[in-house]
Amino acid sequence: MRSVYIHIPFCENICSYCDFCKMFYNEKMVDSYLDELHREIKETYQNDLIKSIYIGGGTPSCLNIKQLEKLFSIINIFKKDKDFSFTIEGNFESTSFDKLQLYKKNNVTRLSFGLESINENNLKFLDRKCDILKIKETIFYAKKLDFDINVDLMYALPTEDMTILNKDLDFILSLDVNHISTYSLIIEDHTKLKINNVQNISEDLDYLMYETICKRLKEKGYLHYEISNFAKEGFASVHNLCYWQNQEYYGFGLGASSYLSNKRMTNTKSITQYLKGLYSYYEEVLTKKEVIEYEIILRLRLNRGIYLKEFFEKYHKNLLDIYDYQELLALKLLNLEEDRLFIPEEKWYISNEIIRRLLEAEVHG
Amino acid sequence: MKQENIRNFCIIAHIDHGKSTLADRILEKTGALEKREIKDQMLDSMDIERERGITIKLNAVQLTYKYKGEEYYLHLIDTPGHVDFSYEVSRSLAACEGAILVVDASQGVEAQTLANLYLALENDLDIIPVINKIDLPNADIDKVIKELETIGFSKEDIVLTSAKTGVGIEALLEKVITNIKSPKGDINRPLRALIFDSLFDSYRGVITSIRVVDGEVHVGDLIKMMQTNAIYDVIGLSINTPKEKQVTSLKAGEVGYIYASIKSISDVLVGDTITLEKNPASETLPGYKPMKPMVYCGLYPIDASKFDDLREALEKLKLNDAALTFEPETSKALGFGFRCGFLGLLHMEIIEERVDREFNIDLIATAPSVIYEVLLNSGEKLMIDSPNKMPKKEAISKVLEPYVKVNIFSPSSYIGPIMELCQNKRGTFINIDYLDEERVTINYEMPLSEIVYDFFNKLKSFTKGYASFDYEVIGYKESNLVKMDILLNGEVIDALSVIVHKDFAYNRGKIIVEKLKEIIPRALFEIPIQASIGNKVIARSTVKALRKDVLAKCYGGDITRKKKLLEKQKEGKKRMKKIGSVELPQEAFMSLLSQDE
Repeated sequence: MRSVYIHIPFCENICSYCDFCKMFYNEKMVDSYLDELHREIKETYQNDLIKSIYIGGGTPSCLNIKQLEKLFSIINIFKKDKDFSFTIEGNFESTSFDKLQLYKKNNVTRLSFGLESINENNLKFLDRKCDILKIKETIFYAKKLDFDINVDLMYALPTEDMTILNKDLDFILSLDVNHISTYSLIIEDHTKLKINNVQNISEDLDYLMYETICKRLKEKGYLHYEISNFAKEGFASVHNLCYWQNQEYYGFGLGASSYLSNKRMTNTKSITQYLKGLYSYYEEVLTKKEVIEYEIILRLRLNRGIYLKEFFEKYHKNLLDIYDYQELLALKLLNLEEDRLFIPEEKWYISNEIIRRLLEAEVHG
Repeated sequence: MKQENIRNFCIIAHIDHGKSTLADRILEKTGALEKREIKDQMLDSMDIERERGITIKLNAVQLTYKYKGEEYYLHLIDTPGHVDFSYEVSRSLAACEGAILVVDASQGVEAQTLANLYLALENDLDIIPVINKIDLPNADIDKVIKELETIGFSKEDIVLTSAKTGVGIEALLEKVITNIKSPKGDINRPLRALIFDSLFDSYRGVITSIRVVDGEVHVGDLIKMMQTNAIYDVIGLSINTPKEKQVTSLKAGEVGYIYASIKSISDVLVGDTITLEKNPASETLPGYKPMKPMVYCGLYPIDASKFDDLREALEKLKLNDAALTFEPETSKALGFGFRCGFLGLLHMEIIEERVDREFNIDLIATAPSVIYEVLLNSGEKLMIDSPNKMPKKEAISKVLEPYVKVNIFSPSSYIGPIMELCQNKRGTFINIDYLDEERVTINYEMPLSEIVYDFFNKLKSFTKGYASFDYEVIGYKESNLVKMDILLNGEVIDALSVIVHKDFAYNRGKIIVEKLKEIIPRALFEIPIQASIGNKVIARSTVKALRKDVLAKCYGGDITRKKKLLEKQKEGKKRMKKIGSVELPQEAFMSLLSQDE
């Protein structure tokens, strides 16, 4: 079963670190964008059963009520599975009570908020605003309406120290939401930060922050189920698990990516191209070997890792016959428990190096 | 060609003082080339020469010039401008009767101006001092004239030129005719011709540049090399105008090229004398010295499968560079490579760059070493060109190392820092000369290994780039030298071993260890780094284990990017050498060269 990602590239404020596809909100532009989005979906969607929808951005919550209604009517086309999960992203400022009710009416099940930090210096660095009261109020109503809630936390900012991080964690934990995503600052190309030549904090401090986050979230009953994601029991993100389990998904809208029938595609990031109906920008048809590489890279991000039997059923080959992971087991960089191969949690922070070594241990012949 | 109408001369200068541009202008003025035919710096024919602005291989051109109704033949012999090639310079000077000494109007006299001048005087050449680049806004002609007067020239002999605008070139050509003597050789004596350069041509074999001193040589003659006694058949003779022109003979006083189906450039020794097999001269021309490499380093292909390509590249380069030596060497750390010998550091850099550029082979070069003379307790004497060939401490009675006389030329305001630098480099002060109130030459005796080890960069930074230097090897002296090993993860990395003076070992070990700590990327496990002499560890440090390399975000849009990132990391690792359990980037080796004390 596939999932659906829909990109809404509009924002009322551009954050310094953001390298997603985004632009300033403009009412007219949004209207024509939604029309084009509608066309794209009709053109591509194969009428199959959908497990989850995720509306990301940009800031989808910055659309006005009328535009949101239009978006939901477009989305009606999808045939939904019975355990269907439906997430919409947003920020606290633009998420009014009216919009929450509208979401509810349209079967949205989960809200994802960018909170990032409440520290003044951090916010200034990120070019963001934050209103504590508004956050508390929005979370209160969202809970009343029975939404699942994710909140994003960003750390390892050059303006940050352990005291600031701990205060951010205090606040996020006080919200008592059922999902938390954390990201260390990555200085991406074409962001304001990169242009201003901002440097990362030291690897050691970054690690200390990561360790602290893991520890404090675990104490509060969050399960660390993916490198950057924590959830209360039963509240892992259905949609994102689809990515990490190497399953297929549609991607609609500006700059959106999809993975359909062994083909990974990314749409254009140029709004003018997109509005002309020239959606696709990048296509990669995967060989079987590449599909397996993705399977490994993605699955090893999860605490559950790779189930070897499941792997064999999917690819008709034993993983060990493709990649010799024995040395990594001996070095305790990988663990094997019964049928399950995984990176032990205390080594997740160096998973790139472990995955690289695993892929280099390719069995030839 | 009348012998009294021949003038053989060269142009000598400090690097960048405009030697090659001046040569171009002379070619243009004598009508050898039309202006439109002149590529910048016509005589420097290799790309790398043009790019670096230095002349590596020699060239000789015949020009004709009418003066007072008489036709004169001017042979312009171009010389390399760098100390590494000083023997080649001295041989090309020996082929001349005169020299144009070029001094930049804004820079004034520099170290190599003097070094080249002394060489020219040793060869008894008539010198025409030229102040070039007089068109530059910061030219200070009066000052440079005073400097030239201080080193023994009279004002009326100095020619002012601008190779850029062409001013003064005619006056200069007239001075060449009036002030430089004509060749003195005797056409009736047995042939003696000086080899002052050679180059390899893939169609015709070795082409030898010669200056006929006595007698004459004809196409079809059997010639004999007086050092090697090898005999060859003269297939062709030619001169360069600068288009090649075949001739049937070359006579006393003339300059040209011989083709003699010589297969290897090593058979043609620069400085050797050519004579005729039938009627040989009894004495060779003076001044022949075999060329000896002074600096050695190991060259290894990063990609082990390119070993044969590297051999082929070195063989090809050697065809045109008799001074380059190489022999296979193996290193536990780096695999199969070559121990290569060079005339000096610049020569080494040029070869490394050519291997990289012309043959597309990525190299790891070990830190350069000089040749040490090691006397064993057994009385045996060894010449050691690599730290790893150093015998065990217990077996050694004494170690000698090559010393050089360094001649540093600098504004007087930097005397303090220069002397400090030289003391720190184990230098012994000889003397200091004031050229005028502002400029001095400082002489030191110093181990060559200290020059090889980051002297040039230091000198430049201590003097804001104003000082220049020159050196000549003066012989071997005993030193208290030890071999220092570098251990990674408890394993000796043979390619990182160095020979150092015992008093400097601790300091240098500390620097190397710290540097490696910076350069070695963090890995899954911590890596101890140690410097040791024998079994005694003198410095240590640790590369901490990798803390965090994971990309926090990985969602729909990031997935292909994440994979590409991993692939890039995989590629990056391929460029590194796996040494024992440690992956080491190429820079680690070169970093041993430069240090901040």
